[in-house]
Amino acid sequence: MWLVRRQLDTRFERLDPDDDPDRDDRLIRELYQEFGGPLLRQVRQTTGNDLQWAEDVVQETLLRAWRNAAKLTWERGLLWAWLLTVSRRIVIDGRRRRSVRPREVEPPEADSIAVPDAADRTLAAIVVADALRGLSPDHREVIEQTYLRDRTVSEAAEILGIPPGTVKSRLYYAMRALRGVLKERGVAS
Amino acid sequence: MFAEIPESLHHDVAAYALGVLDPEDIQGFELHLASCERCKIELDEFGELPGLLDEVKSASQRVRP
Repeated sequence: MWLVRRQLDTRFERLDPDDDPDRDDRLIRELYQEFGGPLLRQVRQTTGNDLQWAEDVVQETLLRAWRNAAKLTWERGLLWAWLLTVSRRIVIDGRRRRSVRPREVEPPEADSIAVPDAADRTLAAIVVADALRGLSPDHREVIEQTYLRDRTVSEAAEILGIPPGTVKSRLYYAMRALRGVLKERGVAS
Repeated sequence: MFAEIPESLHHDVAAYALGVLDPEDIQGFELHLASCERCKIELDEFGELPGLLDEVKSASQRVRP
């Protein structure tokens, strides 16, 4: 999928600057055509396969992209990264609105990175789980307490008892380390 | 006077790429991103990590509903 994205980028670069009156129509149609499917697959994983919710999130994400078209950088990879980021934000906000009870601090678990079930083992899942285990405890913990548990930086900071700035820096070095390992093992480019 | 950009501001790119940056920090970081080549490159590089981490996450969610 990532490779496909890279090939598409040149087309989006060309969509940007002109004053073509049909540009808006064309842009939103193109956004749907090119990103609707892949984005839906990504979003469904975070909505617990709630298809209706996932479709709403995709629609809202692409609408925001369209509204921000003038100031977004339609560069290789960046647009996809932007769409992923925005859609995650929408899912997290939606989950907050849906939850009636205030969130509780979950008991710490020895290892919340599950070994994938034999039935749905994908090579990527195995390699990523293994790469996470190979990180330093601090790095692994900060990825777990933010992304893997759908928490923002300040929420994770509170749980970990460290300043938000430390969470962000730790996350940065953790992501660089993770990417390095995944690249070495051929699952990241 | 050219103020040096604190190293820590560049670090926000990781939280931003994962979508876990707090809402009040997003705009500030996007302003920085607009003029920071280093962060643009890193955002691009981090771009595929959420999808890869989701592989682990969805597996763990299935194991622990």
